[in-house]
Amino acid sequence: MAAQPKAGRAVVPQGLRLADSRSQKAKRAPELELLDACVHCGFCLATCPTYSLWGEEMDSPRGRIYLMRELAEGEPMTTVMRTHFDRCLGCLACLSVCPSGVRYDKLLAAARVEVERSTNRAWQERLLRWFIFELFPFSRRLRAAAVALRVYQRSGLRTFMHRHEVFDRFPATVRTLESLAPRVPRYESFPETVAAHGERRGVVALLTGCIQSVLFSPVNAATVRVLVAEGFDVVIPRQQGCCGALSAHAGRDEEAQGFARSLIETFDRTGVSAVIVNSAGCGSAMKEYAHLLRDDPLYAHVAEQFSSRVRDVAEFLAEWEPRAPRHALEVTVAYHDACHLAHAQGVRTQPRDLLQAIPGLDLREVAEGEICCGSAGIYNLLQPEAGGELGDRKARNVLASGAELLVAANPGCTMQVTAALRRVGTRLPVAHTIEVIDASISGLPARTLLGR
Amino acid sequence: MTDFVQFAEHLRQLLGEGEVVTDHERLRTFECDGLAHFRVCPAIVVLPQSGDEVKAVVGACVAQGVPYVARGSGTGLSGGALPRADGVLIVTTKMRSVVEVDVTNQRATVEPGAVNLDITRAVAPFGFYYAPDPSSQLVCSIGGNVAENSGGAHCLKYGFTTHHVTGLEVVTPDGEVVDLGGGKALDAPGYDLLGAFIGSEGTIGITTKVVVRLLRSPEAVETVLAGFSSIDDAAEAVSSIIAAGIVPAAVELMDALAVQAAEASVHCNYPVGAGAVLIIEVDGPRVDVDESLRLVEHHSKFHGAFEMRVAKNAAERNLFWKGRKSAFAAVGRISPDYIVQDGVIPRTMLASVLNQMAKMASDAGVRVANVFHAGDGNLHPLVLFDGSVDGECERAERLCGAILDLCVASGGSITGEHGVGADKAQHMPRMFSDDDLATMQLLRTAFDPAGLCNPGKVFPNPRLCGEVPIRHSASDPSVKTGMGEIF
Amino acid sequence: MTTPDRQGHKSQFVGLGGQRDVVDGVPATSVAGVGTVEALAEVMREAAERKETVVARGRGTKLDWGAPPTRVDLLVDLSGMNRVLEHASGDLIVRVEPGVCLSELQNLLARSGQRLAIDEVVPGSTIGGLVASGLCGPLRLAYGCVRDLLIGISVVRADGVLAKSGGKVVKNVAGYDLGKLYTGSFGTLGIVAEAIFRLHPVPEARVWVTTELSDEHDLARCIAAVTTSQLVASALEIDCPEDGAPLELAVLVEGISVSVERRAQALAHLLGDRHTISTTPPIWWAAIPGETTVKLATVGSDLPRVIGAITEQAGRTGTRPCFRGSAALGLLYVGLSGGSDPRAVAEFVKEIRTVCEEAGGSAVVLRAPAVVKRAVDIWGTVRPIGLMRRVKASFDPLHRLAPGRFVGGI
Repeated sequence: MAAQPKAGRAVVPQGLRLADSRSQKAKRAPELELLDACVHCGFCLATCPTYSLWGEEMDSPRGRIYLMRELAEGEPMTTVMRTHFDRCLGCLACLSVCPSGVRYDKLLAAARVEVERSTNRAWQERLLRWFIFELFPFSRRLRAAAVALRVYQRSGLRTFMHRHEVFDRFPATVRTLESLAPRVPRYESFPETVAAHGERRGVVALLTGCIQSVLFSPVNAATVRVLVAEGFDVVIPRQQGCCGALSAHAGRDEEAQGFARSLIETFDRTGVSAVIVNSAGCGSAMKEYAHLLRDDPLYAHVAEQFSSRVRDVAEFLAEWEPRAPRHALEVTVAYHDACHLAHAQGVRTQPRDLLQAIPGLDLREVAEGEICCGSAGIYNLLQPEAGGELGDRKARNVLASGAELLVAANPGCTMQVTAALRRVGTRLPVAHTIEVIDASISGLPARTLLGR
Repeated sequence: MTDFVQFAEHLRQLLGEGEVVTDHERLRTFECDGLAHFRVCPAIVVLPQSGDEVKAVVGACVAQGVPYVARGSGTGLSGGALPRADGVLIVTTKMRSVVEVDVTNQRATVEPGAVNLDITRAVAPFGFYYAPDPSSQLVCSIGGNVAENSGGAHCLKYGFTTHHVTGLEVVTPDGEVVDLGGGKALDAPGYDLLGAFIGSEGTIGITTKVVVRLLRSPEAVETVLAGFSSIDDAAEAVSSIIAAGIVPAAVELMDALAVQAAEASVHCNYPVGAGAVLIIEVDGPRVDVDESLRLVEHHSKFHGAFEMRVAKNAAERNLFWKGRKSAFAAVGRISPDYIVQDGVIPRTMLASVLNQMAKMASDAGVRVANVFHAGDGNLHPLVLFDGSVDGECERAERLCGAILDLCVASGGSITGEHGVGADKAQHMPRMFSDDDLATMQLLRTAFDPAGLCNPGKVFPNPRLCGEVPIRHSASDPSVKTGMGEIF
Repeated sequence: MTTPDRQGHKSQFVGLGGQRDVVDGVPATSVAGVGTVEALAEVMREAAERKETVVARGRGTKLDWGAPPTRVDLLVDLSGMNRVLEHASGDLIVRVEPGVCLSELQNLLARSGQRLAIDEVVPGSTIGGLVASGLCGPLRLAYGCVRDLLIGISVVRADGVLAKSGGKVVKNVAGYDLGKLYTGSFGTLGIVAEAIFRLHPVPEARVWVTTELSDEHDLARCIAAVTTSQLVASALEIDCPEDGAPLELAVLVEGISVSVERRAQALAHLLGDRHTISTTPPIWWAAIPGETTVKLATVGSDLPRVIGAITEQAGRTGTRPCFRGSAALGLLYVGLSGGSDPRAVAEFVKEIRTVCEEAGGSAVVLRAPAVVKRAVDIWGTVRPIGLMRRVKASFDPLHRLAPGRFVGGI
């Protein structure tokens, strides 16, 4: 096979010619034209999580854009610059607030690529990244790891290690990784197609995801149930791979492009009109495929078409009249805006509307909702201190809302906030938006959500 | 010639490693504030975490004869926080807490880096707010507000920073920490150095604590959006309303060009075909507001308002304001380049000044979009031009100067809210005689005989070589698109 | 010793100081009356050449305020500069010369339905004196004080140079706000040649709601209730005519008739029974008491303690103070009769000042008979005095303007 992205190793359908990777090298540096849109007004400072932590211009969007400009002017990438780019969560809160319409998402993506291309990281960092990118995007490997994790969790080993504070001697990243891992659920597999209840309104495909399918499979199950109840056939391609979000957001563009091409191929074969995603990070990455593959003459157009069919599940449901009756759920919930849903995709009102349509449900807002919880993909693993501080802050705000249940639409957020709540000694159940809707449609009592 | 490497080391010993920045890439991120035209890279940046640390830095600078400039959030529009290439930039963004809220006495004590809106957020649960509301209040610092005596859309009724600060803790250019004003109490005996300090643009000291006055949030607010066929009509309406004894909380006016831009940008759905659009807000006790609203509608209609809407709820109110607040970012869509001006004229001269400006603009061959705080005569003419066309940038800049002359000749001022800073120091002689400026300097020399505290700002002075701020040409990217929700 | 042979061609009169030309017990050697700003500048230039000490006078209503000057070589009389230069009613601003009487100005403005929102606390006050003393009354609660309403000013410096700052428009941040510096400076930095103020419309209706309070804690409750309400009081004043007498509280609401009516009713309800509603102010309104007057500034929450201290110290020192003031602003004027024993007064002031300064406030003796002034510390703790002295030295290097009248011997 011709130039295959190395770590991708996705299954590439026969007869497909991959683009020459040389053409991908064009326009790597943050484009001057995009940078020009910034007029230095500073509004982005108001919602930037790292600026709220440290109060330093270099770790604000405005400052980072300035560093990018220095790059674009021809200055070499330095360790200093890399540090500040690495510290950016990529939460895109700045994108939402910028009055001039600066495309920080594109700028950051280009900057990250530059960082990866030109940096020699320390061996510990390289090892960590290797570990993450060899494991997370591959469900089969994740499943294997999950089996081990399950044993670890249920055998008593975990309790033992915590009681004896074994992890205190480990580096922060390992501690974080351990604390984030949720209780591994029973493995669940899905049929290729699930038929709609009643008259069919359409056919959709579902991305089951990597972390989602292994560690949060009940969310996928709930998603299928709701879609089916609302009259949609759900196609779940068995061979689907990773969407490449983690790679794309880490500047590993070739790797991400490989995943993207495979995924597009997989889902295009289904011929559906909408590809449903229940993970905010994945959905946002898939909507960016047009930009990711813009220099690929074979895939550019296809990617654009594909991206236009991607819908977050809440976004999708909000486009249709609800069909399945909602039963009452007497529960107070706080809705957490995942950055990649609210800022990156602009999906804010739909999940709230869906939740408020459930009788008996009391929806609360979380203070400082626009500030990231610190998960930001793998940020909490790469920058554990900052991630931890932001997680703690989010936990405090969530608790202050007085809600009994936290609703979050992203596995990363769920893990992060749960871990943070545990750190302050509280347990608060967390559920995905779709699980709440599922419970309502299924007529389950609130305690099924609360007793987690 | 100062050895900045050594000086930086000295500062690190005083403040701690993380608070002294010397990496060139990092220093550059501080080289301009909200006025991106002027850029000067500082020699050293420090980020102190307390008043004591500010004092230590100033003391060190004074001992070494190093000039220093203070900076808050860096959103100022006159280059007041423009650094010195041979100096230290003292950034207060790590000193940003609301230290104390005293609801009984209607005071709050905050650090200088605290964000303006955060004060209101801290006291809103008690039914109070901090009145001065610059449009950048989401991010601008209270210390910066003190330096510039910032106002905001509601300053017509509620005044400026100087009316809402009762005490300051300041590090003087001697390196001493003093209290100006009476803290929470009023009328401290002696000279009103507090009043003289506010608006001194960081040239006579650095604020390290601010005691502000809080106001009770008004019972009712009503906002009206009115469309007129001409600016004259709208201006007349404003005059009538004010003559009727109403003091609106805010009165904003946009001309057709500004409306066109705003419409293209945020689809605010302003009255179609309007020659001028007015946004009038009244607040206070319910009964007063109802009556004021009635009068506002009456006078607007009388002067030809062809369409009038009253906001039914907070969401609609925000929509009315959205168009106005986006006007600046929006003009970027109808012109490749532009310059924002800030001038004041007596309100009654609004129509005549605008007509004169229109003529001046057409003579110069450039377009001008107008957005005003109509209630207090503060104009923000947006001079639109295309930098790629030969000579157009120069014509635009000349027109800006002419507009300032017009403001002064009409009995107004060269700056209503952005301050003089680096940008307008050269224009001060349009408004003040040498004697006037020399008298102001008497205050400055009393505070800062060494001349190290934010030198080169406010007063015109010959530029020293090496310190020339890089004035970018009109084709500079930073001039191209909108300035955002700054005004 | 100076001679009266100065250039009089632009002044109205010159002459030796007479019996009327005394500043707080210090006779002026000569007097010059000026009618124009040019004349004023010229007189000041000459005085500078002769290195004369200068004090300015409007109608002389506050010449005995502050400390007595060390010397008065020249008394400059500004009563001839009494023109209202410009009243732009559409812009709500007025430009006046320093010799204009406040009451006359108000009458003029009232014809256009406008006013300068400053009470005439001392009858006969001129604009110049208003600025030099910074004195204002009950309306301060809603409209601010002299410093807040002054938007532009021209002064003649000690060296005779005319200098302006601010301007004719309310919204103006060009240059330093020297108007604030000059306000309340007792003429020690320059002589006011022209002042520009922002105006307000005269409200359609004004109603006073008055009640009697049981004690200072009742006062605290009332202040809290009024200031946290939506009644938007224009003024909140208290009066205690003599020690032991009941405390009277009066609140002013202004605005359109229907609103004032409703708010007055709500206010009455808030204040409890035994209230009166009137369209005229209480007799003591906007007047400061005593032949010895001490101005106390503190924070609202500290007021009960200060009032308690007044009673306590009255008993201890055997003085008979009365007090009155803008309670919602934490300002009180304590009045003592002229015949009080100076040492007792000094003791009283010292103790009350300690109480005020503990909470970050101040106590200043505004006026008192000469014998009392000699015994008492007029200003109390002044900070930052070093910086203030430097400002004075910058504006008046030879220390000629009103020397000794102000804080720290300035």
